[in-house]
Amino acid sequence: MGIEFKLDGRTVTAEPGETILEVAKRNGIEIPTLCRDEKVSRTTSCFVCVVRDRGTGRYLPSCSSCPTQGQDVDASGEEVRDMRRTALNLLLSEHTGDCEAPCTMACPAHADVEEYVKAGCDGDFAGALEIIKRRIPLPMSVGRVCPRFCEKQCRRNIYGKPVAINEFKRLAADMCYDSYMETLPPLSGKRVAVVGAGPAGLSAAYYLRLHGAEPVVFDAMDEAGGMLRYGIPEYRLPKSGVLDREIAHFRRMGIRFEFGMKLGENLDFGKLGKDFDATVLALGCWGGSGMRCPGEDLATVGIEFLRNVVQSDCKAPNPGRTIVVGGGNTAMDCARTAIRLGAPSVTCVYRRSETEMPAEKQEVAEAREEGVEFSFLVAPVGLSERDGHLVLACRRMQLGEPDASGRRKPVEIAESDFELEADTVIAAIGQRTMAPAGIPVDRRGGIAVESGAKVMERVYAAGDCVGGPATVVEGIASGHEAADEIARDILGVDIDPVKPICVSRGEWQHLSKDDIVFARTETSDADRETLDTLPAELRKRSFAETTRTMTARQLAAEGKRCIGCSCSDKHECKLRKHASLYGCDPDAISGEKPEAGCDDRHPVIIRDRGKCLKCGICVKTCSEVVNRNLLGFKKRGFSTFIGTAFGERLPDSCSECGACVEACPTGALAWKKESGK
Amino acid sequence: MSKIAKLRVGMASCGIASGAEPVMEMLKASSGGIPVVAVGCLGHCYAEPMVEAVLNDGSSVIYRNVKPDKADMDNILSLGENGRFTIPPERAGRELVKVLALAGRVNPIDFDDYVANGGYDGLRRALSMTPGEVVNEVLVSGLRGRGGGGFPTGRKWSFLAAKKTDRKILVCNADEGDPGAFMDRSLMESVPHQVLEGMLTAAYATGATDLVIYCRAEYPMAIDHLRTAISQISEHHLDVLNGRRVTIAIKEGAGAFVCGEETALIASLEGKRGTPRFRPPFPTDSGYRGFPTMINNVETFGNVPVIMREGGAKYAETGTAGSKGTKLFALAGDLKYPGLVEVPMGITLGEIVFEIGGAERGCVKAVQTGGPSGGCIPAELFDTPVDYDSLKQLGAIMGSGGMIVVGNDRCMVETARYFLDFTHRESCGKCTFCRVGTTRMYETLCRIVDGRGRPEDIDFLTDIAPKIKAGALCGLGQTAPNPVLATLRFFRNEYEEHINRHLCRAMQCNSMVDMSIDPDVCVKCGLCRRNCPVQAIGPDFVIDPAACTRCNSCLDACPKKAIRRIARKEN
Repeated sequence: MGIEFKLDGRTVTAEPGETILEVAKRNGIEIPTLCRDEKVSRTTSCFVCVVRDRGTGRYLPSCSSCPTQGQDVDASGEEVRDMRRTALNLLLSEHTGDCEAPCTMACPAHADVEEYVKAGCDGDFAGALEIIKRRIPLPMSVGRVCPRFCEKQCRRNIYGKPVAINEFKRLAADMCYDSYMETLPPLSGKRVAVVGAGPAGLSAAYYLRLHGAEPVVFDAMDEAGGMLRYGIPEYRLPKSGVLDREIAHFRRMGIRFEFGMKLGENLDFGKLGKDFDATVLALGCWGGSGMRCPGEDLATVGIEFLRNVVQSDCKAPNPGRTIVVGGGNTAMDCARTAIRLGAPSVTCVYRRSETEMPAEKQEVAEAREEGVEFSFLVAPVGLSERDGHLVLACRRMQLGEPDASGRRKPVEIAESDFELEADTVIAAIGQRTMAPAGIPVDRRGGIAVESGAKVMERVYAAGDCVGGPATVVEGIASGHEAADEIARDILGVDIDPVKPICVSRGEWQHLSKDDIVFARTETSDADRETLDTLPAELRKRSFAETTRTMTARQLAAEGKRCIGCSCSDKHECKLRKHASLYGCDPDAISGEKPEAGCDDRHPVIIRDRGKCLKCGICVKTCSEVVNRNLLGFKKRGFSTFIGTAFGERLPDSCSECGACVEACPTGALAWKKESGK
Repeated sequence: MSKIAKLRVGMASCGIASGAEPVMEMLKASSGGIPVVAVGCLGHCYAEPMVEAVLNDGSSVIYRNVKPDKADMDNILSLGENGRFTIPPERAGRELVKVLALAGRVNPIDFDDYVANGGYDGLRRALSMTPGEVVNEVLVSGLRGRGGGGFPTGRKWSFLAAKKTDRKILVCNADEGDPGAFMDRSLMESVPHQVLEGMLTAAYATGATDLVIYCRAEYPMAIDHLRTAISQISEHHLDVLNGRRVTIAIKEGAGAFVCGEETALIASLEGKRGTPRFRPPFPTDSGYRGFPTMINNVETFGNVPVIMREGGAKYAETGTAGSKGTKLFALAGDLKYPGLVEVPMGITLGEIVFEIGGAERGCVKAVQTGGPSGGCIPAELFDTPVDYDSLKQLGAIMGSGGMIVVGNDRCMVETARYFLDFTHRESCGKCTFCRVGTTRMYETLCRIVDGRGRPEDIDFLTDIAPKIKAGALCGLGQTAPNPVLATLRFFRNEYEEHINRHLCRAMQCNSMVDMSIDPDVCVKCGLCRRNCPVQAIGPDFVIDPAACTRCNSCLDACPKKAIRRIARKEN
């Protein structure tokens, strides 16, 4: 005889002995659970499956509660969801692991680093390129100019140098770019105007096309690339051999470009709104900041200097004795370009010390090798012309308290003024957006967005013109986000709105060697391969690319150095899945973590205590299904963990079974990842 | 010829701990033939060791704080006036001693002594009735589970009685684990036969075949006395019920608090990891190895002979509408007369704390009932009657009977932290809300008493505590937040002061306190300097707050009470 009861207001019937969870499942109501596995007896431990008895107000674990006649059960209400969220947040608060690898987390474009490194390591560069292009549509350029956020967070840093991640993009693109083509969906009929053919604009156009829209890219210049072309010097990113090849791919995808179109001049913002279903503004930051001192107009603006060199095909006149003011990557680009144009001396003037310089360390080192001199803790106070030369009046500085950016603020030293003489003074201090009238801007002059990338109805913005000058990969990420938002808002594409949560062990700087989990069957302990770089003497005299792409053999060796930090279970983990669905936050509840620690003594199975939910499914699977009793609970309370008798390693025979690995709802029991071939 | 017929020495654990053993030895050596008998506990911890001289006319004289020296022996044997013990006048008349009537009066391991004082009369009466009538008698008595839950005992019995199986299990829960609670220990040590009589009565009424006492191993004397009593029962064939011999066994617990929870207790009996499981099925349907199993607390069984002797209706005359009979409380904390008391249900908290316990009015902030699972009730509410339902309404519980009096010089946040320290350690680790939730609450409380509290901590505790109550698998987790909720309800200002002003008004939390010597009172005797373990007191008698650990050694040593704990000045 059936038991009738109400489930979310619907009258349903349960067979005797059937649990609320089972009845819900049968009726299409999804209740999350972590500790219930139908192959083994009930545990009732996770309490993620709670439902509420509306009559008594009591919360019941639906995996173990059988309904009673006439019961009124709430399985989906906000109170129930809140209880589940709390249970999940509590579990997350004791969870130690890395859902995603720290390299992926650090990448602004969130590229699947571990996966493309593995593919490249195995020699499958076409596969690697496919993975890279899911997040980075400009791998040739990024593979050369990226400041490598990923490598800075690579856990190999604890042992020495990081894996040469960026080189994988470069070789994969160099090898396979011309033969590679995405599967393009049919055009939906929606058209999107993209204003700006820089990294953000190109990225937006790329993903819009993949979402089925027809993008048209407008640009004020004569060729595509934006700062890639007109900002980054030839020696770092060759234009004809690399950038043009990269852009050609966009044309092959059917993306149309219209050049010489400048917003507010011959391109009307209002008309774009009429002609297109949406507009993406990816205008970049093309206005150079001045030195904010008398005579600043006598200085050459850094990005203009670089653009002129590109437009002259690297045949611009020798700037003579050159002073570059600024400490960022643009300043390094200007200084090194001036050297290549034959400048007899180049001095870089920066108002803080070398530690505070925003430029990449590698860039500074190479600039120095090429003969650039540095004058730190010096600020310009005036620029004037004297006897056909420029005279830069300077003042010495000292470091004071840290400012909002965390860097120590330079403070003037009284009566320390001195003068520097030069033929050319380049101001590479900063850039800003030059938004045409009619577009809302924020306090700092960037385009103001409502939320995400949306500026106003059907208008989106991406890249440097929103948040100020940033890196190529950040521009790409921003363009991708704008494309996704348009896809959701205007194209009606169903993009999964649930952002997977990411638990992280934290930055390697705060970890010790003991914290590192080697998730692969083998990890090489070789040193990092060296990048073939032209000697400084040759570099100084030519705009030829300074480095050579690493070889496949080198990258196979690099790939074997990858620890494989991400969780083996990141795509299947039930904790991650439910926590993401319930809007959980791994940092919502803070506190001590139980002792983590990992047992990797078995050849193919890894036991990672930090990820264990103490649901006991593995214990029961081994005893009730496999009949072996190899696993059991140890200690009590918060220190509870699952271990083996006397802490012995699992026997080799477990390789053939693995029932516990398959049953584990998280990555606490996992197959080791394959190491590179 | 001495007027003394025999001498009783309180030799329960508490007596022995206070030095009763040498007293007993010396008394034996000097009594000149007067029998010296070891008895259980009279419940007056503060007066141990105690010796009772029973006179030939049946009256008796009790001596308190007896020392094993000749002077005390002579004093007792000559019935001298020194050290005579009388029940404090304010306490007398408030107690109602029924369950503990024989505690400290009979030799615990003397079967005949028990029988001579009315022991096993209840069982005899039960055996003259049908099992159903016995169950009914308990139903009529209104007895509710004394372990803390308060489930009507008669109904529980009727569930087991209704089972038509050959084998039924009856368990006496003697895993008394609340800090500060010792009612069950005292009862088992002092009158083990009374507990066993209750169990045998229950076995007769319900048809139970296997009787088990699950007793914590930390109670060796109770186990010893019970073992002796069980063999005496067997010798006297009292274990033959309903025409067959029941088995009585003792299972020693291994020290896990959670094993006092009935499903965890059953798992432990089965030799498994002591963790609770979801109910239903309830143990009376499926318990130990799947057999119908009924679990009652020691004190519950201790009440049964009383009910059977005087009848359920008579028993029910004592107490309130929902709570009948008497209740044992282990009184501890900031009061004059700590000890074991038996009071009628419905007595007010104030009567227990001030009159029976002798606590000073105006010096008490609250009382914690129900041990770590209970709640703090503020002194303003001391007119609350002690019964299951009134205490529950205040967010506390009757619990098994621990009652801790909290004086004004104690910090309520620290008190909550103390109890959470216990419960989070004792969590079995199975369910999420208890394992992680209690730990997170404990960490938050630690942060607050440590001066690192954040304004959002109160919100966190307020949010998480009811969720743990609602979401934990067993009673341990479901009640663990009670001390936090109760202190948040009645002493929220103390939490706010700790967090917002770094002030502990009780001057207890070391992170917010400095030690200070009043120069006007100080006589510069140097005792504080000599006693300071970290040399924090200079020759000028000023305490260096950076070196001082706030250990109170100086404060305790000062003969002039010139040293005080004062609020730390913010830097």
